[in-house]
Amino acid sequence: MKNYFKKIKVFSSAFLPEVHTDGGYGRFRLMLFGAMFLISFIPLIFSTSLSSREHRKLMEIQEKEQLVLSIESARNTIEAFLHELQSMVKFVAEQYSYDELLGQNKASELFAHLKNQYPGFVDMGVIGPNGIQKKYAGPFRLEGYDYSNQDWYMKVLARQVDISDVFMGYRKLPHFVVAVSNKLPGKEEYWVLRLSIDVETLQNYVSTVNTSPSQDIFLVNHQGQLQTKSKIFGGILGTCPFFTHYQKGETVIHYPEYEGKKYLRSYAQVKNSPWIVVIVTEGYMHGEKWSSHRFRVRMIFLGCTIFALIVIIQLVNTITNRLREAEQNRNQAVIEAQYTNKFASIGRLAAGVAHEINNPLAIIDQKAGLMTDLMENSTPFEHKEKLIHSVTGILGAVQRCKVITHRLLGFARRMDVAFEHIDTSDLLKEVLGFLEGEAIYNRIRFEMSFPDKLPMVFSDRGQLQQVFLNIINNAIDAVGKNGLIAISAEPSGREMIDIKIKDSGSGMSHETVKRIFDPFFTTKEAGKGTGLGLSITYGLVKKLGGKISVESKIGEGTVFTVRLPTNDVQNEGNYSG
Amino acid sequence: MDKIHVLIIDDEVEFAEALAERLELRGYLPKTADSGRGGLEAVGVALPDVILLDLKMPDMSGFDVLVEVKKKYPTVEVIMLTGHGASSSGIKSMERGAFDFIMKPVDLGELMEKIKQAYRKRLANSM
Repeated sequence: MKNYFKKIKVFSSAFLPEVHTDGGYGRFRLMLFGAMFLISFIPLIFSTSLSSREHRKLMEIQEKEQLVLSIESARNTIEAFLHELQSMVKFVAEQYSYDELLGQNKASELFAHLKNQYPGFVDMGVIGPNGIQKKYAGPFRLEGYDYSNQDWYMKVLARQVDISDVFMGYRKLPHFVVAVSNKLPGKEEYWVLRLSIDVETLQNYVSTVNTSPSQDIFLVNHQGQLQTKSKIFGGILGTCPFFTHYQKGETVIHYPEYEGKKYLRSYAQVKNSPWIVVIVTEGYMHGEKWSSHRFRVRMIFLGCTIFALIVIIQLVNTITNRLREAEQNRNQAVIEAQYTNKFASIGRLAAGVAHEINNPLAIIDQKAGLMTDLMENSTPFEHKEKLIHSVTGILGAVQRCKVITHRLLGFARRMDVAFEHIDTSDLLKEVLGFLEGEAIYNRIRFEMSFPDKLPMVFSDRGQLQQVFLNIINNAIDAVGKNGLIAISAEPSGREMIDIKIKDSGSGMSHETVKRIFDPFFTTKEAGKGTGLGLSITYGLVKKLGGKISVESKIGEGTVFTVRLPTNDVQNEGNYSG
Repeated sequence: MDKIHVLIIDDEVEFAEALAERLELRGYLPKTADSGRGGLEAVGVALPDVILLDLKMPDMSGFDVLVEVKKKYPTVEVIMLTGHGASSSGIKSMERGAFDFIMKPVDLGELMEKIKQAYRKRLANSM
């Protein structure tokens, strides 16, 4: 038994889908949103990160290349400078002999001449084979100083030409030395010409090489001692911490951190000197430019995201709403189709029953009629009056049945309709004319408010009369005595007009309204109504290409709205009905 | 006015006889036939003025009887009297020459009025 009910439930839910199925749409909306989000965002994220990485790579390469170029040019410049110095010292050493230079004022003259040409020179010394400075020209008194155990002296003896590290030396000022050793003629002994150069000169030179303010360019020796000033690491003869990582041959080395900042540095050995030229730069990838670039990219990404989200949400909402509307329309159509179907089958059933009943009913009618005829013509006999009364009752009942069967057939019948243009105002006045008697008897007032220029409806006069007769008759029954029935009309859209019949009755419950057009449904007492009036009305209005609807509230009365077409085009197919 | 000869062709014998008796009481000359063929025979024996013809009969449909009668005796008027009151049948009957189409059960007064109208038409046509 339980199963049976279950089956019925399943069956009915399959055929009567609920109109409100919002739950399913929530999930659908979420899924659609997710799918669209992924479709649009995966490529966006992918392309943004890819292009960002490519951009970064490219920038790094470019940066390195730039740095290599810078370092090469710096080295070349410094090498050229040193070469010039060396050449100058070499030239002097070759032009003048040891003895010549030891002469009275020769060294001072020469130095003055050299300094005139090249102001960077601080002093000049001529050192004998024993390492003692024989002659000195310059601002300090260094004649007779012994250089035999100084580094540069050893080196110059070994290499003939040498450029020293920057050092303090006897003068207690940072300088470097360019020295040339020459063989004494006819001996296996060497004398040395030494020119010391102020470190300021070197510094100026290096500074002019530096083109970019973001770059720190300086010289360092192989022990990591700064040979010129560094913006980052401090003054001359300080220590360059990076230098511990230096490997020969490597030009660019990546970002070691120093005091929380990352730097890009490059090195190059300066030929024929103890120096390495170093450029340290705060790399683009870590500088402000890069972070502002990254900020811009992120803002663009964020903007795209917000825009995409708005579009997606709008789109998802539109799609979901369209789908929901479509489903609601479909459900409505299904319900209407079911209703129409129900009517058709009930109509067929009713017609069949009516046909079958009409024949026996006709027999009863004739037989009872004959009985009356016979009794009227016969002489008085016992119970004659009572018999006549009974037969009259039978005939009355037959009349009632006849009304029902004929109406049923009318309901089922495919009536012939003759369409014409009809003034609804006139038509309703006619209908009210039919009902005047009853209305006066019940003291019912009619109120008609029709606009002046209401379009004519295109419909069948007789059937339309029946429609309004039925509705107004019901309204009269509903309002009782002293009631008010208001009839109004207004255009609805371009091709329809709405006629509203509002009664001041007691109204109907929701359940009643739902069944109001069902055949045999009646709220009137037994014998007073067939329950077919509104069903027939519904069928008629439909046939006339219109629509009928009802609104009712308990205690407030009922409004029937009949919507009728004014345009004849859409009804052409129904002429032969 | 002469008495009107009415032939009732209906397989519902009880109905036909009761109606015939009542018409007779009212001064008509009715006859009955309980089938289509019987009806056609009766028409051949004595030509009625007006025929009351049922639509659904077991041997032959009222339409066929109507067509047959109208073919042989065009001036005889036929009123269709049936329980199967579909308007399509009504139209079909009128197209085949019926005088009218009435649905059972029918008020006797109404029916007599129709018979008289049909008779008048017959008289007019046969003159």
